[in-house]
Amino acid sequence: MAKEKLLEVKDLKTYFFTEDGVVKAVDGVDFEVYKGETLGLVGESGCGKSVTAFSIMRLLDYPGKTVGGKVIFKGEDLLKKSEEEMRKIRGKEIAMIFQEPMTALNPVFTIGYQISEALKIHLHMNDKEAMEKSVELLKKVGIPIPEQRVHEYPHQLSGGMRQRAMIAMAMSCNPTLLIADEPTTALDVTIQAQILELMKSLLQEFNASLIMITHDLGVIAEIADRVAVMYAGKVVEYTDIRTIFHNPLHPYTFGLLTSIPRLDVELRRLNAIPGFVPDPLHFPKGCKFNPRCRFATDRCREEEPPLVKVEEGHLVRCWHVDRVKEEVKKGLLVGV
Amino acid sequence: MKRILKKLFSNVSSLVGIILLLFFVAIAIFAPIIAPPLSDDPYQVPRMSWDEDPQPPGFPMSDNMKEIYQYMGKKVKWTKAIFGTAQGGYDIFYGVIWGTRTAFKVGIITVVAAMLIGVFIGSVSAYFGGWLDETLMRITDIFLSFPFLVAAMVLTTILGRGLDKVMIALITFGWMGYARVIRGSILSAKEETYVMAAKALGVRDGRVIWRHLLPNTIFPVLVQASMNIGSMVVTAAALSFLGVGAPLGYADWGQMVSFARNWIIGKPGHAGQYWYTVFYPGLFIVLFVLAWNLIGDTLRDILDPRLRGEL
Repeated sequence: MAKEKLLEVKDLKTYFFTEDGVVKAVDGVDFEVYKGETLGLVGESGCGKSVTAFSIMRLLDYPGKTVGGKVIFKGEDLLKKSEEEMRKIRGKEIAMIFQEPMTALNPVFTIGYQISEALKIHLHMNDKEAMEKSVELLKKVGIPIPEQRVHEYPHQLSGGMRQRAMIAMAMSCNPTLLIADEPTTALDVTIQAQILELMKSLLQEFNASLIMITHDLGVIAEIADRVAVMYAGKVVEYTDIRTIFHNPLHPYTFGLLTSIPRLDVELRRLNAIPGFVPDPLHFPKGCKFNPRCRFATDRCREEEPPLVKVEEGHLVRCWHVDRVKEEVKKGLLVGV
Repeated sequence: MKRILKKLFSNVSSLVGIILLLFFVAIAIFAPIIAPPLSDDPYQVPRMSWDEDPQPPGFPMSDNMKEIYQYMGKKVKWTKAIFGTAQGGYDIFYGVIWGTRTAFKVGIITVVAAMLIGVFIGSVSAYFGGWLDETLMRITDIFLSFPFLVAAMVLTTILGRGLDKVMIALITFGWMGYARVIRGSILSAKEETYVMAAKALGVRDGRVIWRHLLPNTIFPVLVQASMNIGSMVVTAAALSFLGVGAPLGYADWGQMVSFARNWIIGKPGHAGQYWYTVFYPGLFIVLFVLAWNLIGDTLRDILDPRLRGEL
């Protein structure tokens, strides 16, 4: 089955021009999202995941600015569109779900009003139609007694309910692409699972694609088809979901994988990646992961590795893929 | 909203404020009944006599004055100056009663207009930020650097005498506080995720400000506005007192006080002889300002611990 490319991000560069200097939050990110597919964007806090999302939506304010690259959505470059054209795409073609359902809903309006807003703007519905549609949407996202809930304010809903309402808002205009920025991070585990299930079924129903931004590999395993691992503003490994767990090749991905608790392997302590996320104002020279990487050599400290295709559909940004492979063979490094 | 009203009515000081305010509203509404106008322009304070010095409460209209009104074909509906007359025979009672209407007019129009300007400038400035914010805020600073009363006085003098000119001057130099307050609250509110969420849904900037930001940030401005009505009235009165405000004989509290200017101390040996010239208009001004301040104070107390999630 030939997959249709819905979104293609090419060499996206988004910098923040602060008083202390230029912060290269996103520095040359490439990935594709195919129709009906879910891409997981994984990385530590501050690695540029969210900034990538906002750059796609063109929602960054001063001092953030997208300085280069292309965001090709349905064959057109979003970065070249006018603000007005962009506004028509937001919410209708590409919708977003945010991390904090507590703050992503406006406290002074009812749930129904907030869901209706997009319907009124993009589908030109009148108040009554929009309200009816809102009830329908709330029902679809599994909120009980939706007729009553539409008239309630965000604070009257629980966290999980709010996130469901957010999803209803995002899905209201049948977007073809959904960007979810850590949608489950603020929820407790059982609710997380429910929300993920809900998102999966909705994606199927609407035949929409999803970019799932998260630092939680568990979430990725649950929902993603392909994964881009980001570190310090760059994609370091980009492959499908099976490979990332069973045959990862970037040292950073290994770090991430071994730092999550597992039920099947007895470990006394979790492995932590040594060191800290580098200060974005003073990224290390060469490979940005080199100060924390035990494979690092002088070359890593001098020269930034490119994102190379190691095998079909598996790209890695590392000089030492061969050494990593060797260690895996010896059993020194274990995937999941 | 209900909660706010309930609190306003259960709090003693705000209750006093509300009662005072209702009392003034009643005076303003029933002014034509309380003090029926004698001439065509109801805002023209009638003169009871040609006397230069003030006359005590209960002073009857002089005969030649009555003749003039009759000659003009006007019915003399009342003849007693209940609160006495000010310099030039102007009736103080009539002045303060009709002056209530003037006070409401000046207070509400100037505050509403200043608030609209301030909220517009402040919210646009905060929302868009960058050079626009810089420019608008420096303009605000320039306006703020003038002493309010002096600036208003100079502008009124340039524009000429008249209540409308006073209001223009008060609006011109009265919006900056609102701009500052709303800018501050929008600067913090615009970082909220719901603003980003609204933008991500394709909501226009104007609508984001109007529908999403202002409802969350307008309360401090409303509190400030309610407190400001009193001070605007005081300033208007001050301008009138200084002689650059309302035209001569116009029913305005400041004007009534300004008539008392030469008579406040009384004659030698009779200190406070003309107390009524300053007491009645002064009392009205004080009570009016007090009413608004009491209400504003309570509003602030109610709204200060952010009513987030309780609305």
